[in-house]
Amino acid sequence: MTDVRFPQLSQEQPDAEGVLATWFVGDGDQVASGQLLGEVMVEKVSGEVLAPAAGRVRLLVAEDQTARQGVVIARVE
Amino acid sequence: MDDKTRLELYQVMVLSRTYEEAILREYYADKKPAFDIGAGLVPGEMHLSAGQEPAAAGVCAHLRRDDAVTATHRPHHIAIAHGVDLDRMTAEIFGRETGLGRGRGGHMHLFDPQTHFSCSGIVAEGLPPATGQAFAFQRQGSDRVAVAFTGEGAANQGAFHESLNLAALWKLPVVFVIEDNEWAISVPREASTAIGSNADRAAAYGIPGQRIEDNDVEAVYTAAGDAVARARAAEGPTLIEVHTVRLWGHFEGDAQGYRPDLADVPGRDPIPAYEARLSDAGILTAGLVSSIKDEAVARVEKAIDFAKSSPVPAPETALEYVFA
Amino acid sequence: MSVTESATAPAEPAVRRLTTARAMVEGIAQEMERDAGVVVLGEDVAKYGGIFSSTAGLLDKFGPQRVIDTPISETAFIGLGIGAAVEGMRPVVELMFVDFFGVCMDQIYNHMAKIHFESGGNVRVPMVLMTATGAGYSDAEQHSQCLWGTFAHLPGMKVVVPSNPADAKGLMISAIRDDNPVVYMFHKGIMGLPWMAKNARSIAPVPEEPYETPIGKASIAREGSDATVVTVSLSVHHALDVADQMSAEHGVELEVIDLRSLVPLDREAVLTSVAKTGRLLVVDEDYLSFGLSGEIAATVAETDPGMLRAPVRRVAVPDVPIPYAHSLESAVLPTRERIKAAARELAGA
Repeated sequence: MTDVRFPQLSQEQPDAEGVLATWFVGDGDQVASGQLLGEVMVEKVSGEVLAPAAGRVRLLVAEDQTARQGVVIARVE
Repeated sequence: MDDKTRLELYQVMVLSRTYEEAILREYYADKKPAFDIGAGLVPGEMHLSAGQEPAAAGVCAHLRRDDAVTATHRPHHIAIAHGVDLDRMTAEIFGRETGLGRGRGGHMHLFDPQTHFSCSGIVAEGLPPATGQAFAFQRQGSDRVAVAFTGEGAANQGAFHESLNLAALWKLPVVFVIEDNEWAISVPREASTAIGSNADRAAAYGIPGQRIEDNDVEAVYTAAGDAVARARAAEGPTLIEVHTVRLWGHFEGDAQGYRPDLADVPGRDPIPAYEARLSDAGILTAGLVSSIKDEAVARVEKAIDFAKSSPVPAPETALEYVFA
Repeated sequence: MSVTESATAPAEPAVRRLTTARAMVEGIAQEMERDAGVVVLGEDVAKYGGIFSSTAGLLDKFGPQRVIDTPISETAFIGLGIGAAVEGMRPVVELMFVDFFGVCMDQIYNHMAKIHFESGGNVRVPMVLMTATGAGYSDAEQHSQCLWGTFAHLPGMKVVVPSNPADAKGLMISAIRDDNPVVYMFHKGIMGLPWMAKNARSIAPVPEEPYETPIGKASIAREGSDATVVTVSLSVHHALDVADQMSAEHGVELEVIDLRSLVPLDREAVLTSVAKTGRLLVVDEDYLSFGLSGEIAATVAETDPGMLRAPVRRVAVPDVPIPYAHSLESAVLPTRERIKAAARELAGA
């Protein structure tokens, strides 16, 4: 089981809050390592969330929900 | 330059910056948590002028209410410097019925017939109408002038060249002012323009051209004074290029990842620099600075309150004003 | 000890969904890999990746010789694309907003679109002109138009208008491979951008391999028998939402035709559907008069008006510039409310 964390888009504010803008996969989907899972935004900067491993993904944060950089937003089992 | 003029330049720049800071606040106020460009009381694109105040203040100081000004998608500092009604301009930015355009135009399409001010969002396309306003003034036998503001990116657009040639050919009373803020969205001037200074393009049209460095409001004032005087004396057009700075993004929401000098940018703010200069000259005191800033805040907040308390246009009126 | 590995059921293939923006970029990228003559030119297409993300990531993959920022000189760089195409390259040129066509239309309609004809078929212009269209986020008169009717009206250029990620990729690949000039018009509201209100269908499965979506062929986005809705672009999404509501609330089954291409126009698809349903609603975010919706109505009228059991209904922008104020903009756009009201009237529901 591997944690998927909200990317660090803002270096100046390590625990800045952002938004889970888009999930490209559904909860429970089978994903490949490196696959694009989602897109996040902090202020005006957008970033990609990639799968750190292959497996089944569990989404822990909903689309349009806020989350801080670094928190676990999904898991790959 | 007399002290009174220098102080007025400072005041105009402070009012303009205060305004942009307030619009910035209002623009983002209801777009959280996720930035949704279409949400809130001020939706859509927003192009703010922080850093570019010297170009507007230095030029518009020479203009009368009956002189014409055309501007671009980044118009607020120019509108303020030329004396556009701040309440009605703000109401327009908020899309209200009491706005300059009854809410139809928004921040990129501000029209104020009282001050002959207009702006639009198509790059370089404000130049031909300005030459037309100048043409009318010439025919009407007045000494009124037109000023067209545009960006350094626009100097590579066809309308720019056609306008300069036509204005020169017919000796129209128009002043062309380029605000070179170094960036056409994400493209730096060196990557878009074959020569180092757009002021040098004036020679191609047989008109005087001058480039002002360092975002120096007093140098702008001096150059603009000459250009406006030439136009009023029926001696034809002039091109002025002001090397200025875009302190914020191209539009609000622009992360500016393409801009390597971003960390240095706040240090280039022209207003604290001019404030220091006038303080050293004994024209500004801490107390005077305070009262100028307070006055600006009060004026701006009054305009915002007016806008917010104005009615939104009724949907049933959506088809009106297509034709007179 | 021998280890016997129990056979696990094969995992389903990873479901790969993309936004429309990423799908169209993938189409361009795969063609750039296949053909060294494909280059991308436009304003802010390199480092910025296109202001609506239409070229995001291409610079990193292909470098500045193939993904090129231009000055604000549309006539010059679109004309340059034409010349390069004539000499064997396959340029993909971006006109940042379709509303800017005014400054460069001569190159587009008098040259790009006419050279092949003027040369008696001897010269080809294999070029893609891609451009952002559409309203709904308060960008006002000069940054919110659709204008596909204008481009479709002028002979010599193909016009494609994808509504979803899979078609966005397939139509881009087809457009690049086509030896004709293709105007590729993408609505900003379907791109799935994180900074603009999204709709659910902007993110959808997209096949990984390169594939072509046929230009000139409509798709039946939803089958139905009570009325035909012919539409394109973002309005497809709205029409599908309305169709769900009409079915649930009124038991009316709408058939939704996504034209996908305006030139060539799949008139057969329209006629086949209207012959079946007898009722036609055209939804078009472009201006009402002298455009796409009239063309669809004329197609039916000049083939067999008898197939209509009710007059054609059109929901479009009512010949007014797009206003800035939100209250006014939403009154003139073809919203779900307007589409539903027209559908109910048409179906007698």
